[in-house]
Amino acid sequence: MCVGLAAKVVSVKDGTAVIDASGAKRDVSAELLEDLEPGDYVMVHAGVAIAKITSDDETESEGVMAGLASHSRA
Amino acid sequence: MSDVIKNAREIIQSYDGPKLRIMEVCGTHTHEIFKMGIRNLLPENIDLISGPGCPVCVTPVGFIDEAIYLALEKGCVITTFGDLIKVPGTKSSLAGARSEGADVRPVYSPDDAVELAKENPDMQVVFLAVGFETTTPSACLAVKKAQRLGLSNFSILTANKTMPSAYKKLAGSADAFLFPGHVNAIAGNSVCKELTSLGVSGVVAGFTANELMTALAVIIEESKKGKPFFVNCYPRVVKDEGNPAAQKLVESVMESCDTEWRGLGMIEKSGMKLRDEYADFDARKKYSVPDIQGKPNPACRCGEVLQGNCKPTDCPLFGKVCDPIHPVGACMVSDEGACAAYYHYGPSINLN
Ligand code: SF4
Repeated sequence: MCVGLAAKVVSVKDGTAVIDASGAKRDVSAELLEDLEPGDYVMVHAGVAIAKITSDDETESEGVMAGLASHSRA
Repeated sequence: MSDVIKNAREIIQSYDGPKLRIMEVCGTHTHEIFKMGIRNLLPENIDLISGPGCPVCVTPVGFIDEAIYLALEKGCVITTFGDLIKVPGTKSSLAGARSEGADVRPVYSPDDAVELAKENPDMQVVFLAVGFETTTPSACLAVKKAQRLGLSNFSILTANKTMPSAYKKLAGSADAFLFPGHVNAIAGNSVCKELTSLGVSGVVAGFTANELMTALAVIIEESKKGKPFFVNCYPRVVKDEGNPAAQKLVESVMESCDTEWRGLGMIEKSGMKLRDEYADFDARKKYSVPDIQGKPNPACRCGEVLQGNCKPTDCPLFGKVCDPIHPVGACMVSDEGACAAYYHYGPSINLN
């Protein structure tokens, strides 16, 4: 039940967003995220968009590992 | 294989320091780590412990008994996340209650339950609100919507929980926690940062192979420095402040309460219940649910499994009496439960 669903926002209207998760479209609540726009990526839990996703996981992991390296040298 | 994974993998496999016990707090982490075969990569001196972060697994027996009471004695339609249907109560599960006439329906979200109530005014719909920080906002949104629509036939049975007190209770069970990414996406990182002052270390992690390998590598590297640490390894989703709108919503609809965790017992201020203003939507008050003391199967060792004190395979019932089709304890029910993960992936993994 806790598995989050990463999805792309197709449209937003009156606190509801239509999302596209690998081709499957559904309505989710957009009430907890301000300024959501079509094209944004969001994490969805139990029908609610809970967070914006700001990059892909590879870029993210590169950043985290780079942080670790510079931290260790410091 | 990407360079990041290669680098992380090298750090993990070459670890030759003192024994390191890492607890995955979140059931989804447990499941993904098994599925990706990450356990096979770990050297012997790294022990992964599957913690209590599956809401289904920590839902106490008495909660299932309450839901069955509402279905059979009060004629309510029970709506719930599907996993909960098979969880054993004292005498039976919701699936068992169905054969006695209970109307139990799985839903994808609490909002679906509100819609069901709206379309069927003569039905008394109750949603079973389980879950941690991640899921609680969806239950609060449902209550607010039902209020807005003026529905008098919708209520929720709360068993919502919050993680901070559980972390403290589990503090000695592991050297570092793999904190659940989506709890922090809502609650923010401050609690985890504060835990470092109590000597509790950990990183918040995402759910892909890149993210999990990176998180483990970071734990190893940080542990070598010998000081408590916290690192956000999931910054593409988790911001330091979390989701302020969600925090505000939950704060306005619910308040904290003491609550029982299956296996861990009563933990002070680790639960959420509806505020008095929302009493009309509180199934316990609305239907005067009596105080029910659930009795778990005494042979089930879920409690010890959840605290990392034993492995599922140490339980005498594992795979013999207890399996995913006939679960005895909640840890065997959900795919995210430690016992179910061991059952599905056990033969192919290194159980340490
Ligand atoms: S194997 Fe079954 S009975 Fe044993 S601890 Fe796990 S859930 Fe409980």
